[in-house]
Amino acid sequence: MNGIAALQPYVIGPLLVWAAVLKLFGRRTRAQAGRTALARLVGAARAVPALRLVGVLELAVAAALLLPPAVPAEGAAAAALSAGFLAYLAYARRAAPMSSCGCLGAHARPVDLRGFARAGLLLAASVAAVWAGPHPVDAPLAALGVAEAAALLALSPELDHAWLMPLRRLLVRLRRPLAVPSPEEVPLEVTLRLLYRSPAYCSASARLSSDVRETWDEDGLRFVVYAARGRAVVFAVPLGGEDPAAVRVALIDEPAVA
Amino acid sequence: MTSRRQLLKSAVLGGGAGVLAATAMGSLGPEAAFGAAAPDIVPGAPDPNFAEGRIRSVKDNTLFVLGSNMVFHRIRVVDGTSLWKLGPVAFDQARPGDGLYARGVRMPDGVLAAESVWLNIVNIKGHVRNITSERLHLDHNGQEIVCHQVPGKSVAVYSDAPPSADLSLLRVGQHVQVLGAWRPDTNQVDIATVFSPH
Repeated sequence: MNGIAALQPYVIGPLLVWAAVLKLFGRRTRAQAGRTALARLVGAARAVPALRLVGVLELAVAAALLLPPAVPAEGAAAAALSAGFLAYLAYARRAAPMSSCGCLGAHARPVDLRGFARAGLLLAASVAAVWAGPHPVDAPLAALGVAEAAALLALSPELDHAWLMPLRRLLVRLRRPLAVPSPEEVPLEVTLRLLYRSPAYCSASARLSSDVRETWDEDGLRFVVYAARGRAVVFAVPLGGEDPAAVRVALIDEPAVA
Repeated sequence: MTSRRQLLKSAVLGGGAGVLAATAMGSLGPEAAFGAAAPDIVPGAPDPNFAEGRIRSVKDNTLFVLGSNMVFHRIRVVDGTSLWKLGPVAFDQARPGDGLYARGVRMPDGVLAAESVWLNIVNIKGHVRNITSERLHLDHNGQEIVCHQVPGKSVAVYSDAPPSADLSLLRVGQHVQVLGAWRPDTNQVDIATVFSPH
């Protein structure tokens, strides 16, 4: 138990340093400060100073956590900061549901469950850090630390582009979820785009008085029927063809429905 | 139906042509093409010949529609009306609950005689968050929208190439625009066309 407590400053500390550096020195973060929920909370004009202040607080708490000696007040300060983050997220979710939180640099995603989970994990780790003391590091403890850090990173939407998107791209490449179900089936839209580009359609379009009324496939052709003020215009479009000039057209009196 | 189709088929294959002669359809002069008077609408005022809303009930050939501004519309669907629901469809596809845009002519009794009715049509821009089996998961301003590939209907337009039934060139992370049919009261959309910038 002591070991777990002793581990927490080394999990929270680097995360806070990273967040602080992004807030204090990240040019993009400052540029997008106006779009975060913080701007809603303190006003757009004060968003950048507020962001800097949070960064300084984070840096101070991180320094206290990482530098010896370990005193309970450091954990308490980190817990207070984490509780503040949670309260801020709850505010952002209510008051500015479309804004991002601005926690770990700039991104456009609004606050979601992952943000709350990350702040909750941070709060739990900070509370545990209150009991931190000197303790030797062994293999299971190191593994736990790595797992905790990985969980915090996985819960950060700011990092999705670094691991989640490539992972999903790889899965899509392997599984091919959007493969064409049956290549011989030609969607109507494909036929219509060819039709719209054809001289046949251009010669008749001014007088068409309806959208597609009827369509059917026969002998490698797709027949498309439009109404034209009491008459019918029928087009024959080659299925799978690419030459608009091959489209044929006829205008006939509307046949009596047989 | 078969003999009607045979008739239409023999007309286009027998006597059909690459282009229609101008005289076949009467005058094609500019005064005919642009003959329709410009709509007489005061800027800012609602267009009387347009209606939007959701279908409350369907009776005979009339749709009873409640607009998003709580204005009630009666929309008559006639023989010449074109209906769209992921493609041209028949009138029986209009169901209570469907969202709708309709354009037509306002009759003296207040009924809109529809020329065109688009059911559940949506036009969404967003980022592809994930692709799973026959689904695109779209991030649209932070909201997830699931777009379904409909075999035989959905097409993709890559840049300015002709449309293709092959959606497999779409990539996770890219920006797309989806034209499709909303499934009422869900965050799901059936894809008609997905536009990809590359």
